Amino acid sequence: MIRDITIGQYYPVASPIHRLDARVKLAITFIYIVTLFFVDSFIGYFFVMLSLGAVIASSKVPLRFMLRGIKSIMVIIVFTMIINLFTTKGETLLLEIGFLRITWEGVAVALKMSIRLVFLIVGSSVLTLTTTPIHLTDGIESILKPFSKIGVPSHEIAMMMTIALRFIPTLLDETDKIMKAQQARGADFDTGTLKEKAQSLIPILVPLFISAFRRAEELATAMEARCYHGGENRTRMHVVSIGRRDFVAFAVTAVYVCIIFLLRHAAEIVPFWI
Amino acid sequence: MKMVRAQQLSYEYIKTVEKDGVTTEQKLQALKNVNISVEKGEFVAVLGHNGSGKSTFAKHINALLCPTGGTLWVKEMDTKNEELVWDIRQSAGMVFQNPDNQLVATVVEEDIAFGPENLGIESSEIRKRVDDALEQVRMTEFATFTPSKLSGGQKQRIAIAGVLAMKPDCIVLDEPTAMLDPIGRREVMETVHRLNREEGITIILITHYMDEAVRADRVYVIDDGDVVLNGTPKEVFSNVEALKGYGLDVPQVTEVAYLLRREGIPIPADILTVEEMVGALCQLRSTI
Ligand SMILES: Nc1ncnc2c1ncn2[C@@H]1O[C@H](COP(=O)(O)OP(=O)(O)OP(=O)(O)O)[C@@H](O)[C@H]1O
Ligand SMILES: [Mg+2]
Repeated sequence: MIRDITIGQYYPVASPIHRLDARVKLAITFIYIVTLFFVDSFIGYFFVMLSLGAVIASSKVPLRFMLRGIKSIMVIIVFTMIINLFTTKGETLLLEIGFLRITWEGVAVALKMSIRLVFLIVGSSVLTLTTTPIHLTDGIESILKPFSKIGVPSHEIAMMMTIALRFIPTLLDETDKIMKAQQARGADFDTGTLKEKAQSLIPILVPLFISAFRRAEELATAMEARCYHGGENRTRMHVVSIGRRDFVAFAVTAVYVCIIFLLRHAAEIVPFWI
Repeated sequence: MKMVRAQQLSYEYIKTVEKDGVTTEQKLQALKNVNISVEKGEFVAVLGHNGSGKSTFAKHINALLCPTGGTLWVKEMDTKNEELVWDIRQSAGMVFQNPDNQLVATVVEEDIAFGPENLGIESSEIRKRVDDALEQVRMTEFATFTPSKLSGGQKQRIAIAGVLAMKPDCIVLDEPTAMLDPIGRREVMETVHRLNREEGITIILITHYMDEAVRADRVYVIDDGDVVLNGTPKEVFSNVEALKGYGLDVPQVTEVAYLLRREGIPIPADILTVEEMVGALCQLRSTI
């Protein structure tokens, strides 16, 4: 069950989206997320859906991989929906049960909020599914580099992410092994009250932490032995360069942003249910 | 020029022990006046039981530890000289016991590139070195794999490739096969021997397994921080009783030869391989 956690969910196919520079993809994803908060009409969301669909189609990643992320936040989506449904103040009453009032406006807000969340997740899935973890961390490092003057440890952050990604499978394997070992000695992780379940985790976490610290120390020694001395004077095997297709991607994004704002403007003159 | 030379090398660990609320400093002499010298291109095995100071010695060659007494030179570079640390680490690479805890990156080729990247080498040159190193350890087809999908032996070969990409003159391996299955052990030992033979790389192999030491040019036995025996494998392994005294075994056939000799059968004491044993026994029969 612990194996189901998928991190670094890169989907390896050759597509124009895959070939884009990681920094460009990071920047575009950021712009996409920000503009998502400016969309407030159903027409707007329809346009976002069309654009997202076009990007997904050209990424050649099967749709079900893109939608997988939604499942894990289903609870949050439903929760947001319920809250918005009951707390939004509106004019046009839909039904009233006791003190609970549901208005048409409430329904619209609830729908819009959950659509927004879904687009948020699917949009960031496009980034992680089409970019290898290495390119992602390298991209983050070079985006943060200008900020290192004001004390942002860009190289260290990227290095930490790389090492975390490298050791997640190792530590998951180890957790599995420890759990099996404890189960062989009669440990029970599945039944009992919440408190008992939490307590049964202690014999897993303690050895896991001890081993993680030992690993960290050995890894630090091994890195030092390979002349690691931080980001200074360090070169990289893969040098990234921004090409023509990256400019095209930015141009398309610019058009997208313009349309989003035009639609927002339009939304002011049409009723809320559009 | 000697590849590695240790003269009266000593090292003390300082441990703080807390007992009844009082912290005291305890000194532990892990190396005592060790003298070792390794020629360029040599294959040296270092033997010793648990806690005898083998890893402590290995870490000195890589300037990970600084001697508290005596001196160690790598290619005539004194490891106490802080300015030479990077040159020393580039010249004498190190492979550790646990294959999982020495790989840094999520992709094999990125991991091999880690060393040269730290040295600040140009990217096209790094690419070339990575490809060469992969070829040298016969792992080219695994270039884009993730290390967690590889076997222990394959991971160790990647670790060796990571060192090779730094173009070292010498590789120190600290019990590289201790956590591997027999197949992994064979893969790693073949790789190490081939690098020694074909590339002329000096190998210092620290090991628990006697049969790995048999093929070395020279064997050092460390006991309690002291070099107690040294010589060719034949010279060292013929001291069966002394070795047992240091808590070490001898190769199986050497043990058999030792037992036969004790029974009064005239057979050489320095037999290391099954073939030698067969030869000696056949000769014995023809003389009777
Ligand atoms: N970091 C440390 N602090 C204190 N003492 C240490 C430290 N590392 C090793 N020692 C001690 O130094 C001695 C030599 O240890 P070393 O690791 O060099 O032995 P080894 O021959 O490599 O053993 P093994 O076969 O178990 O790897 C041991 O007694 C050990 O307890
Ligand atoms: Mg050791």
